[in-house]
Amino acid sequence: MSALSKNAQCVLQILQAAGTLTTSEILEMAQRTEYVEICKDCAGGDTFVAAANQLVEQGLVTKKLGKGGYHWQIVRR
Amino acid sequence: MALKPRQVIGAMNEYYEQYPACAGRSVHKLGQEASGAYSRAREKIARFINASEPRECIWTRNATESLNIVANCLKIPRGSKIVTTSLEHHSGSLPFVERARRSRMRIEVVKAHDDGTFDIEDWKKAIDSNTRVVSVVHSSNVTGTITPLRDIVEIAHDRGALVVSDDAQYAPHHPLDVQNPDVDFSAISVHKMCGPTGMGVLYGRMELLESMNMFLVGGDTVSDVRFENGRILPYYLPPPAKFEAGLQNYAGAIGAGAAAEYLQSIGMIEVEKQERKLLATMLKGLKELEHLHVIGPENVNLRSGLVSFFVDTVTSAHDIASFLSDEYGVMIRSGWHCAGPFHYQLGIPPARGTARASIYIYNNEAEISTLLKGLHALIARTSGEENH
Repeated sequence: MSALSKNAQCVLQILQAAGTLTTSEILEMAQRTEYVEICKDCAGGDTFVAAANQLVEQGLVTKKLGKGGYHWQIVRR
Repeated sequence: MALKPRQVIGAMNEYYEQYPACAGRSVHKLGQEASGAYSRAREKIARFINASEPRECIWTRNATESLNIVANCLKIPRGSKIVTTSLEHHSGSLPFVERARRSRMRIEVVKAHDDGTFDIEDWKKAIDSNTRVVSVVHSSNVTGTITPLRDIVEIAHDRGALVVSDDAQYAPHHPLDVQNPDVDFSAISVHKMCGPTGMGVLYGRMELLESMNMFLVGGDTVSDVRFENGRILPYYLPPPAKFEAGLQNYAGAIGAGAAAEYLQSIGMIEVEKQERKLLATMLKGLKELEHLHVIGPENVNLRSGLVSFFVDTVTSAHDIASFLSDEYGVMIRSGWHCAGPFHYQLGIPPARGTARASIYIYNNEAEISTLLKGLHALIARTSGEENH
């Protein structure tokens, strides 16, 4: 986990705590006080979503398109 | 970000392969070749923007650095006013917001309409005799709208204020003439105009550049540095050298010159014409899509080659960009496009953002058709109207 960027770690923490979320739900949660230390540039969201997409590439997270957009979920092993 | 033509890549490769030396400071043959190419690149940029002389063009890393140089180095009296807009890229407003805070100046923000256009009466009210600087985006990177710069320059100059034009979005898409309207400063990012990343230009009127403080100092900025009576005494060079401290990005500058030359060989009027044709097709197609909302005016003559929009069947514009990339090979930007204030003005929270499709000289109708097809599929799959 240490090799992951702060944004990627933040996405993982949020999904671990909350289960399945839409993109905007993740971004809204990232701005909450409990993530303030780890979430560094979530306001615009682009670098944050790019980090989430890298997690998908690494097989740690899945995203599925459905009603309302992408739904993100952590891969449980 | 624009794609790079072979002419630009070739010019940069040629530098690295044939004469990879420092311009200006090396006496050997390769150094002379580098100096010549570096100097010609500045001439090409000056021709591209119609600066009255190449020395008015300063190499920077990007338009952001160009704007920071102006905001930080211009001598502005305390207590005076700076005028900017709600439509600015963060790089057009924040350097001046910080300068105003530090130097106890007032900032007045002219609010754009929600479609990115302005009411000239608002400018007349905002720019007063106490205003010293107006920082304005020439073409918005969100709405694509073109600012009525000629009117703004006339009002500002009439009241004794300088105009800083953020031309990062305008320069790649339209003929730019810094002498008509006669802006005082212009900031350009070369990566948007077929040039290399990490290269920008600051244009400034010579007398202003001469009177400004330096931004960075050090090697190459001085004619002499004496050591007298235990003191180090620098004698600074005139512009552009006083603003170009240390080893420069020679390959980047040569690439920037090649990009300017490439665009001029096509002709900026032709570039504008081609883009407006594609823009009309794109706007028409986007407007026909249910659930998709376009930001900005319908008149293509009021805008540059981009359209920002949102789709109400997805909760975030990032989903639009991800879907189009993953499934249709179409690359668009999403988010707040470094224009937070304007998104807040529109009531669009950052987590939602907007999607932005940009077109340039190399795009065609078939690519716009693919974009529209992709958006149609996205809306169908996310509205719950189609099962997958």
